[in-house]
Amino acid sequence: MNPSIQAPNPAPTDAAVAKPTLLFVDDEERILRSLRMLFAANYRVLVTTDGNEALEILKREKVHALISDQRMPLMAGVDLLRQAREIAPDTMRLLLTGYSDIEAIVGSINDGEVFRYINKPWNADDIRAIIGEATEIALRLEQSASPAHAQPAADESMGVLLIDDSWETASELTALIKESLPANFSLEWATNLGAAMAVLEEKNISVVVSEVRVGNEDMTPFLKTLKRFKPHIVTIVLTSHWDTGELVGLINQGQVHRVLPKPMRKVITLRGIQSGIDRSREIQSRPEIALRHKVEAPKQEVDPGLLGRIRGLFQRAGKPLGNPANS
Amino acid sequence: MKSISELCVNVEPLNPHFKIAEVGDIFLDKSYDRLLSLPIVSDGQPVGSISRNQVQQIFMTRFGRELYGNKPIREIMNTAPLIVSIDQPVEEASQYITRNISFPITEDFIVTSEEGYHGVGSVIDLIRALENRLFAQNHSLAQAFEKLKASQAQLIQSEKMASLGQMVAGVAHEINTPLGYVKSNLEIARDAYLKLEELTAGYDMLLSMIQSPDTDEGVLNEHLADLMGLRREINELFSREDMAGLFSDSLYGIQQISEIVVSLKDFSRLDRAAVDEVDINHCIESALRIGHNVIKHKAEVVREFGVLPKVRCSPSQINQVFLNLLTNAAHAIEDFGRITVKTLADERFVHAIVQDNGKGIPEENLKKIYDPFFTTKPVGQGTGLGLSIVYGIIKDHKGHIRVKSEVGKGTAFCVSLPISPTLN
Repeated sequence: MNPSIQAPNPAPTDAAVAKPTLLFVDDEERILRSLRMLFAANYRVLVTTDGNEALEILKREKVHALISDQRMPLMAGVDLLRQAREIAPDTMRLLLTGYSDIEAIVGSINDGEVFRYINKPWNADDIRAIIGEATEIALRLEQSASPAHAQPAADESMGVLLIDDSWETASELTALIKESLPANFSLEWATNLGAAMAVLEEKNISVVVSEVRVGNEDMTPFLKTLKRFKPHIVTIVLTSHWDTGELVGLINQGQVHRVLPKPMRKVITLRGIQSGIDRSREIQSRPEIALRHKVEAPKQEVDPGLLGRIRGLFQRAGKPLGNPANS
Repeated sequence: MKSISELCVNVEPLNPHFKIAEVGDIFLDKSYDRLLSLPIVSDGQPVGSISRNQVQQIFMTRFGRELYGNKPIREIMNTAPLIVSIDQPVEEASQYITRNISFPITEDFIVTSEEGYHGVGSVIDLIRALENRLFAQNHSLAQAFEKLKASQAQLIQSEKMASLGQMVAGVAHEINTPLGYVKSNLEIARDAYLKLEELTAGYDMLLSMIQSPDTDEGVLNEHLADLMGLRREINELFSREDMAGLFSDSLYGIQQISEIVVSLKDFSRLDRAAVDEVDINHCIESALRIGHNVIKHKAEVVREFGVLPKVRCSPSQINQVFLNLLTNAAHAIEDFGRITVKTLADERFVHAIVQDNGKGIPEENLKKIYDPFFTTKPVGQGTGLGLSIVYGIIKDHKGHIRVKSEVGKGTAFCVSLPISPTLN
C-alpha cells in the first residue's frame, strides 16, 4: 500500500514492532500535530482527519489504540468507533472530545464500547497515562491471544440482578426475561444497596441492571466499585436520569456495558442483557479479556464500608483477587 | 350578576276588563313609580301590557279621559308584550329584549314561570345589570391582558436565554478546539525547555571543564559523550521543524481565540451605545461569526454585500435579527447547502436578503411564521418565538420583513430598514 516500500514482503522492522501504534482522528490538523509531537517519542503515531481513511488503516494494519474526536464533518466519532469495533475488535477505542452531548456519550457506550472518554482540552500527563494503559492492555492481549476456552456449560445457572425501586420496571423485566431467555436465567430484584449486596453474596450473578438513583441513593459509586473488584460482572444502567458528567464517570471508572432508556424498550433491553451475558461469559472463560474493561481509579474516595463489603464478597466467593485496577 | 328572578318585581297584574281611567289611577300609585308599563293577565297568563305612555297620550288628548276613560284596556293594550322566562339566562333575555324593544323605551318586560305570570322586570335594571357585568368583564379582560403581556415578556426573555445558551455552547466549543492544542503545545514546549535547560547546564559544565587546567581528559570525554547523547535525544524529540510548527500553530490558536472574543464583544455591544449609526454589513458579519459553529456544518455562506449607508438603529437588536435568520436558514438545510446573504440600498432603505436552499416553508405555514409560539420544530427544540421577536424588532425600527419560500427549493427573508428612522 505504501509505494515507497519495494521489498516483496515488507516485514516490519524490530523497531516498529517495539513501538505500539496509535491512530488519532480529528478534523483539526493542529490537534493532530500536537498529539503526534506528544506521542511520537514512544509510539508509532498515525493521524488522519477522515474517518473513512481511519477505517482503511484499521483494515490494513495493527493499531493498538484508536483515539477519535466526536464532532467531525465527514464521519462522527461514534460511527467510526462502532465500525472500528467490527473491523478491529482488539484495538482499544477512546473518545477525545470537547463536546459532551448526551447522544454522543450514550453512543460511545452502547455502540463504541469505549475504554475511556477523554475531555478536551486534555492534560498531557493524564492523556499519556491513559493511552499508556490502553496500549499496554492491547499488547498484553496481543501476546496472550489464545483460542477461547470452552464456553461454560449451558446448564450453568446465570443470574441477572435488578437494582431499582420501581415495581413497574421489576415486573416488566421479569416478564421479559421469562418469555425470552432460557430457564436457567434467573432475575433477582433488590430495591436498595443492602439487598443488592445480599443477593451478590448468595447468588451467581453475571449481569447487574441498575437505575442510577434508587430511593435517595446514588448507585454510581457502587457500580464503579463493583466493576473494579468483580470485572466479570457486567453492568447495565437502565435509567430515566441522564447526566453527561455521571455517564462519563460510568465509562471511565465503571466501564458500564450499556445505558438503556426508561420507560423500558423491550428489544433493546433484551439485546443489552443478552450481550451483557455473552460478555460476562467471555470474561469468565478468558479472564485476560477483563483487562479491556479495566477501570480508572475513582476520582472521589469510595465509602470504605462499601469497599470492604465488595472486597469481602470476593474472598468469600473463594476466587482470587487478581489485580484490581492498581488499587 | 343578577339573575332574572332577582330583577323581577311582584306586581299585582291588571285584568283586561279594567277601564282605562282606572288604570290611570293605578299608575299614580307611588309604588308603581319605577315601572314604565303594567302587565295584563287573564287566567294566570299574560295577555298584554299597557304603558304609562299610552295612558298619558290618551289623557293628554282633548276630552280623552271622557271619551276613552270607560273603555276596557283590552282595546288599547299591547298584545305582544316582552315576555321573559324566569329561568332564562340574563344574556339571552337581554338579547331578546334589545332586539324587540321599541324606541323610545316605554315598556318593561313580563316575567313568566311554568305556572304563568310571575312578575315584572324593569328594563333600566336589566341594562344596569348588563353594564355592571360588562364592567366586570372588562376589568378581568384588562387583568388577563396584563398577565399575558407579562408572560409574553417572560417568554421572550426565556427565548433569548435559550438562544444565548445555544450560542454560548457553540462558542465554548469553538474556543475549546484551539485551547486544546495550544494547551498541549505549551506543555510540549515546557518539556522541550526543560531538556534544553539540561543541555545548557551541560554546556556550562563543558566550558568550565575546558577552562580548568586540571580537567581529566577521560572525564571530559565522558561528559562530551553524555552531551552528544542528550543533544541527539533533543533533536529526535523536538525537531526544529516540529518546534517551529508548534509555535506557529499555538500563535494561530491564540489568534483564533482572540477573534472569537472580539466577535463576542462586537455582537453583544455591551460597552457601546444602545442606538448607533452602523453598517448593516458589519452586523451581518458579526452574526455570521457568532453563528459560525452552527452554520459551518450545514452550509457554505456566500456574501454579496453592497456598499451601504449607515443606518441608525439598535445594533445589538439588529445583530440578534440576523443571527436568528441565519441559524434558521442553517436549520432549514437538511444535509449541506448554501446560504446567500445579499445587501443593497436605495434612497430610503437598506435591504438585506438571507436566502437558503433548504427545505422551504409550506404555503399554509407562511402566514403563521411571525405568530408567537408557531413552530414546526419538535417540542423542546424551538419556542416558536424567534421570528416573532425578529418581527417585533424590525417593527420597532419602522422597517419591513418579507418572506418568499418554495417547498424543496428554499426560503428567502428580506429585511428592509429605513436609513434614518424616528426610533421610539
